[in-house]
Amino acid sequence: MAGETSEYTLSGFAVPDQLDAVHELLGRAAAEHPELDPMDVMLFETALIEIANNVVEHGRPEGEVHWTFTVRVMPDQIEADLKDSGQPFTPKTGEAMPGDDAEGGRGLSMAEMIFDKIEFSRDENLNHWRMVRRLGQVPEELQI
Amino acid sequence: MTYTENDNGTYVVFVPEGKFNLVTAPLMKDRIDELLKDGKANVVVDLHAVDFIDSSGLGALIGGLKGARQQGGDLRIADAADQVRAVLKLTNLDRILTPFATVEEATNGW
Repeated sequence: MAGETSEYTLSGFAVPDQLDAVHELLGRAAAEHPELDPMDVMLFETALIEIANNVVEHGRPEGEVHWTFTVRVMPDQIEADLKDSGQPFTPKTGEAMPGDDAEGGRGLSMAEMIFDKIEFSRDENLNHWRMVRRLGQVPEELQI
Repeated sequence: MTYTENDNGTYVVFVPEGKFNLVTAPLMKDRIDELLKDGKANVVVDLHAVDFIDSSGLGALIGGLKGARQQGGDLRIADAADQVRAVLKLTNLDRILTPFATVEEATNGW
């Protein structure tokens, strides 16, 4: 697989039950790419799920938002495109991690810490998240 | 997600299993709140069977910690898997939710 790009896709509704399918999608990608550092996969999964959670929680009309994930495993990075049919909105990127006692508001900050690139656009009536994590950049303190 | 509990009179060991996420965190938080309401203010969350946590799961643990401390108790976590420990470190929440290696270590002094 070295030097090639493998693509994995998932389509469905942005509802809580479908979060497991997102985990399974990444599980499939990881299983077919044993060369990936498990921590890279774990962090990517953590960040992607936070963005997916965001769509599930805030996408309207609730229960009717359709989404498509495309995950690409490349020699030097993993990337994901998430397109959803929810209402237009502007994500609040660039915000600081909330204080230690906050019970919410960490999801997007976590994703921004993990992804090397996170871009949002509105294309053809779809919200489009593009997320990239370069491989081999696991901070020393997170090494298993 | 399912959970088990073991109440030894001094503290409760709460053992969730599966994904501690958007779907399951509210249920877990409700159960921890019930324990606190029943006066069980020392709680160890044994995370050995949790294979994934998201920001909702973290929020539930922080909420439980605050509730326990308000009652003069504490909520501690033990035996967390790699993903859970990585997320705690990434968010710096390991400073207030110290991951203990074992339930025994977590309950030291209770």
